[in-house]
Amino acid sequence: MLLIDCPWCGERAETEFSYGGEAGITRPKDPAALSDAEWADYLFMRNNPKGAHRELWNHSQGCRRWFGIERDTLTYRIAGTFRLHGKDEG
Amino acid sequence: MTDLSQRRHGLETLVGAHGDREQLSATVTLEIRAAVRQLNLRGDPGKAGLRTAAEEALGQALPVQPNATTAGPHTICWLGPDEWLVLSATPDAANVATALEQALSKHGAAVNDVSGGQVLLHLAGSGVRDLLAKGCTLDFHPRAFAPGACAQSGLAKANVLIRLDEDGEAFDVVVRRSFADYLLRWLRHAA
Repeated sequence: MLLIDCPWCGERAETEFSYGGEAGITRPKDPAALSDAEWADYLFMRNNPKGAHRELWNHSQGCRRWFGIERDTLTYRIAGTFRLHGKDEG
Repeated sequence: MTDLSQRRHGLETLVGAHGDREQLSATVTLEIRAAVRQLNLRGDPGKAGLRTAAEEALGQALPVQPNATTAGPHTICWLGPDEWLVLSATPDAANVATALEQALSKHGAAVNDVSGGQVLLHLAGSGVRDLLAKGCTLDFHPRAFAPGACAQSGLAKANVLIRLDEDGEAFDVVVRRSFADYLLRWLRHAA
């Protein structure tokens, strides 16, 4: 079981959290201007690195906030957790 | 506002033989506290005036440290950086929601009475920490779970808010009404 350090609640068991995919994907400002390939890339294509991976997690059984984790996909070692925006961002 | 003192919590068929108090084991007693009003408060504590207005309306400060509670006329539990649960057993609890809503309306906050949707279970006795530890990943050792602390977690897979009272002796467990039947059975079995 992983211990995940929620930026608000502190260290909690992995079972309290849910995974939310790769972090840092921003919606294109003008989707209509994109080609189908670019839109599909934004919607579906994700990195699958062996090593460090920045990803979104939600503390679903706790404070229910989204935050980010940098985790090594090979060793599961968590390098750190971070809040997504301002410090009070929900 | 409805009068909660006579309110049915819908668990009568389950607890009927025992009343609202039940000896779960030699070391744990359970009490269903249906008369405690529960208010959910959401608002940005960084916004000027919100905390002061809430403090004036409630007579006590909102806890801004994660997983902390404040005691006073009511018990206020931290649920998130912009969310609190006010547990109120005061005689005028019915008016607290209205007063709070009026005081906070211009600060962009929302106050909702969630008394009907959640059940407050009061667990007391020397065996409570061991009982909760059977179904929850939190550390209930007195060194880790201090008096006045609260935490949201899973208890036997049900989402709960757990709070330890100021004396460090009894726990309040707040659970969704729809999970209360299940959780009560689990507690009985686990105790």
